Amino acid sequence: MGGIRPGRVVATALTAAAATLLAGCGGGRAAGDENTIVVATFGDFGYDALQADFAEAFPDLTLETRVSEFDAHHQQLQTQLAGGRGAADIVAIEEGWIPQYRESHELFVELGALGASDIKDRWAEWKWEQGVADGGEFVLGLGTDAGPLAMCYRTDLFEAAGLPTDRDEVSALWPTWEDFAAVADEFSAATPDVAFADSAENVYGSMINQAPEGYFAAADDSFIADENPVISEAFALAGGLAEAGQTAQVKPFTQEWNVGLAQGGFATMACPAWMLAQIESAAGEQNAGVWDIASVPGGGGNWGGSILTIPAQGDDTETAYRVAEWLTAPEQQKTLFLEKGILPSQPEVYRDPEVLGDVNEYFNDAPVGEIFAASADSLAPNYRGTRDFSVRSRFQEALGRVEEGVQSADEALADALEQAERDLG
Amino acid sequence: MMVASTSPPETPKASSPAGGEPGPKRESWRDRLARWDLKGTPYLLILPFFAVFLGFGLFPLLYTGWVSLHDWHVVLGDQGFVGLANFARLLGDPNFWNALFNTLSIFLISTVPQLLAALGLAALLDRRLRGRTFWRAGVLLPNVVSVVAVALVFAQLFGRDYGVVNHVLGWVGIDPINWRSGTWASHLAISVMVMWRWTGYNALIYLAAMQSVPRELYEQAEIDGASRWRTFWAITVPSIRPTIIFTVLVSTIYGLQLFAEPQLFDPKGTAGVGGNSREFQTVTMYLYEEGVRLGDAGYGSAIAWALFLIVLVFAVFNYRLSRRIASKD
Repeated sequence: MGGIRPGRVVATALTAAAATLLAGCGGGRAAGDENTIVVATFGDFGYDALQADFAEAFPDLTLETRVSEFDAHHQQLQTQLAGGRGAADIVAIEEGWIPQYRESHELFVELGALGASDIKDRWAEWKWEQGVADGGEFVLGLGTDAGPLAMCYRTDLFEAAGLPTDRDEVSALWPTWEDFAAVADEFSAATPDVAFADSAENVYGSMINQAPEGYFAAADDSFIADENPVISEAFALAGGLAEAGQTAQVKPFTQEWNVGLAQGGFATMACPAWMLAQIESAAGEQNAGVWDIASVPGGGGNWGGSILTIPAQGDDTETAYRVAEWLTAPEQQKTLFLEKGILPSQPEVYRDPEVLGDVNEYFNDAPVGEIFAASADSLAPNYRGTRDFSVRSRFQEALGRVEEGVQSADEALADALEQAERDLG
Repeated sequence: MMVASTSPPETPKASSPAGGEPGPKRESWRDRLARWDLKGTPYLLILPFFAVFLGFGLFPLLYTGWVSLHDWHVVLGDQGFVGLANFARLLGDPNFWNALFNTLSIFLISTVPQLLAALGLAALLDRRLRGRTFWRAGVLLPNVVSVVAVALVFAQLFGRDYGVVNHVLGWVGIDPINWRSGTWASHLAISVMVMWRWTGYNALIYLAAMQSVPRELYEQAEIDGASRWRTFWAITVPSIRPTIIFTVLVSTIYGLQLFAEPQLFDPKGTAGVGGNSREFQTVTMYLYEEGVRLGDAGYGSAIAWALFLIVLVFAVFNYRLSRRIASKD
């Protein structure tokens, strides 16, 4: 009666059950330690530099940072919000992503009632406005850094093209974007083999960021890209550079951008404060002192910067708030700038003499504190519609088509408008 | 563990404890357990697969179907039942048709030459070679490399300004090609990636099948004076017909779901758009763009279901086609 033992049946059943269980539990996340506050960020927010101070301020808490890549970070948050679990205690959201979370703000903790309303004056007004929903009733998050724009340029390429290299003289070359385009022509005439700007998208984006309204009306969030002269003018100017072959067609942070930076493939690039570290690491030691920083054409604009939010699904949202408040407090913001070059969005901090006096060695000892503070001060609030995120990429793709020579600037703009309207459907 | 314990239930087939036994002796619990083991254990053994399939295959499929009938935002959730509106929108969506065209185009450009090359490669490996194992293991190597690494390396090879491919083309006087702009250039570049990764893999599957073709057939053919080429088409290919059908089916399913290679090939980042004119946006990328990036889960689910149906249709079509091609006898 062939070796069937009851033991085997049990073992088999157990194996089957275990396999099923294992398969079912794959996605589970171990519950976090209750004395740990997890901050999820993309890129380096510099919080490691604050660890010692943190230990002093919160002796019984541990600060843990979870860093993901930009897109992945924001998409993870989407999934975690949709699933109702898994989000960090404090989550940084970049300014471009904030508008769409205004719709789903009930998934976050309202910070006004926890004390955020009392410290509103810390931030520049435009920054505070970025982090609120419901017409200011609902405080979604606390501002961290800001990205007031400047224009980085390569002194060696400027010299080769017979242009001035001193940063004040360079700033004086381009009070407006039209002047910038004129300098591009002059540059290309002298050195036709080198692109003047990194990409049409960046020039265009900087121009849009300087305007009070872009694709959507601040008053009622309606789509106005088709009638807003800011859009057509910026597109024509950036598209003109693209048509003339004066852009290197590289998107920031891509491999080609890295190579372009390291090999001097382009002479200028709009750069917010946080970009400097990226340029330095991509261009490498061999380019130290080659880059310098001038003011951006058309006055100050902002690119990037985040707010710290607290998803409502967290276990201890009040402690999370205390930590978020501490992280964005003036003393910590100042430390972050001096240690990591991350520019605060709080006027009191960026006007601090120590901040103003800061210079960046890599960028030819440029007085970055002074440059970016001035840019932040001249910055006008820029309204981003709820659907801004989905529409913006249509215009970036369109400029890409102009750079590739597939379409003229006019055709590309018409196409982008049509696609954007269809997306909004 | 599983494999080891599958055999016992088959061996005691002859035992049949109850029925034919002489006398009305009551079954002991031991016998009953044994009988249950005989009948039940096979089901238990295959149960994990079906449990996992229910959880991770069938349920998502049905749930996706349910979501596709709603206006559903990833974060905001269900915004109401809309019936087949998402599917109606799909039919009139030029971006979807563009993505479908790209998918089929890349699928054809990569799969047809790939399987033919794999067949040829297998035929070569099937012959007496010095260092056979080395060559056989070698062809599988590309498949072992992570798809992300492959895509990143190829994305650089096909770079416009600093890419090796353009550099080499420059030697023979061909102007730099922008591999990410233009439908055919981008499809070709992505197909090269897919071919590089999968040719060796399919070759090994073919090789395994070829090894079981009776050698006498070849000897006979040799005696009859058939050429190598003719032997290959008249004996080898028909003999491994089921394997060819299998690889065609698997390649169809994989090819129509192509995602990682084109996604990582896009220098503009992981937006899922596939080039500034959507030159190489595949259906899966479009699904990703709408469903994940723009958060329109309802529409994304409709795309997913459409893709499922398309894969099904193509799988059946290719099955019939490959059966016809492979049965020349």
